[in-house]
Amino acid sequence: MNREDWEPKIVAFLCHWCSYAGADLAGIGRMQYPPNVRVIRVPCSGAINPLYLFKALREGADGVLVSGCHPGDCHYISGNYYARRKFVVLKQFLEWLGFEPERIQFSWVSASEGQKFSQVIQEVVDRVREVGPAWKMVKDYVGHA
Amino acid sequence: MLEEVIRSKARKLLEEKRVDLIIGWSEGTVSLKTAPKLCRKPEDADQLVWNPLCSVNLARYLKYYKKSPEKIAVLAKACDARAILVLLKEEQISRDRLVILGLPCLGLLNPDRVAEALPGARSRDLEWKVGKLLYRGQPCDTSLLMEETCRRCRHHNPPLADEVIGEPVGEPGYLHDDYLERYNRMDPGEREAFFNEEMTRCIRCYACRNACPLCYCQECFVESTRPLWVTPAPTPFDNLLFQVARSMHMVGRCVECGACERACPVKIPIALFPIKVEEIVQVEYSFEAGLSEESAAPLLTYRENDPEDFIK
Ligand code: SF4
Ligand code: SF4
Ligand code: SF4
Repeated sequence: MNREDWEPKIVAFLCHWCSYAGADLAGIGRMQYPPNVRVIRVPCSGAINPLYLFKALREGADGVLVSGCHPGDCHYISGNYYARRKFVVLKQFLEWLGFEPERIQFSWVSASEGQKFSQVIQEVVDRVREVGPAWKMVKDYVGHA
Repeated sequence: MLEEVIRSKARKLLEEKRVDLIIGWSEGTVSLKTAPKLCRKPEDADQLVWNPLCSVNLARYLKYYKKSPEKIAVLAKACDARAILVLLKEEQISRDRLVILGLPCLGLLNPDRVAEALPGARSRDLEWKVGKLLYRGQPCDTSLLMEETCRRCRHHNPPLADEVIGEPVGEPGYLHDDYLERYNRMDPGEREAFFNEEMTRCIRCYACRNACPLCYCQECFVESTRPLWVTPAPTPFDNLLFQVARSMHMVGRCVECGACERACPVKIPIALFPIKVEEIVQVEYSFEAGLSEESAAPLLTYRENDPEDFIK
């Protein structure tokens, strides 16, 4: 693939109770957002293992988004509070090692925020587009452009 | 000499059958290296040594005795004792089966540096005495011979011990120097280039993981094939992913002992990864692993107002 034909590919891990429902609402409401996103539904943002995010990048995603319920709204009471602590460490550590921060992004989107969901996707796609393809992380990378 | 005290205590513990097993260090077969030593008979205790080259973190051996009924005495430098404390908190061993012989510790020496600076030196030629390093009884320049992870050590006394052997360490007599600072100060591109270069040298032998007292999983993610998280081929990016994910498993657990780094056959300063993670944990959540039995591990608790400015 050439750089010119490239379109960002985003894998979005959405929690079942809030962000996934938010995405649904965006769909029902016919809100426009870029088609670059592939959604994977997870029970809770607290269930996210950093390995899932790396796996997505390894298999060819250019960026990943993790989205869960706003603090205080977790269906399991506190899953997102635990997730937040894990993400703080992960994010700072990866940036220290030189990973582009655009590759792994986070948001809180509730079931009633269809509008916010489409904005977040737009923003994530724009930022990943700016940094370009994540080819060097892909498993079989042999030296693209 | 301290070594004599250690041997006689160990001998007595075995003679009186107060423990079945003692985990300590003995002289190694390679110069300037000691080896882990398991003593089961009183006479084995005569082979125990204690010097600034006792670099294996002995807490690492407790994982093999999780389910055994044996009583175990373990020699523990301050960081070994911290690792034991984490293992106890994580219920990897029961306290009543352990006798912890704590050793206040001024730091380990790097065998390569010692070999270069003091040709012909053997481990028994070197000892700490009242804050000074003695080589064949004469004081010698310390700081350049030390392990980087020990020069940054903030906790020289075991936080947990049934008995402490030797005087507690006050301020060490050498210059404290945190090598993490040097990497923090690099500009980001330079740091990235450095680590990427180091990762091309990693042969994925997993010695770092295997030497770590807190990597006790029966099945490590890195050897999982379904799903295959990290490919087995030691490509630079797979090597980096292995280290990143391992470090994420260390969050709030790594006791900064540097055992992983000392085990690395190609001399990658690999402890920097988990140590950086611990720095983040300390800044964000004011937590240091292996110091207290009460405080909750940072990822097993939360505050409603934890930082989140990076979340949209
Ligand atoms: S990761 Fe390294 S420094 Fe940390 S506890 Fe394990 S061996 Fe020690
Ligand atoms: S790296 Fe992680 S999975 Fe592997 S042994 Fe260590 S803690 Fe367990
Ligand atoms: S010990 Fe060194 S070479 Fe072996 S896997 Fe760890 S970093 Fe790589």
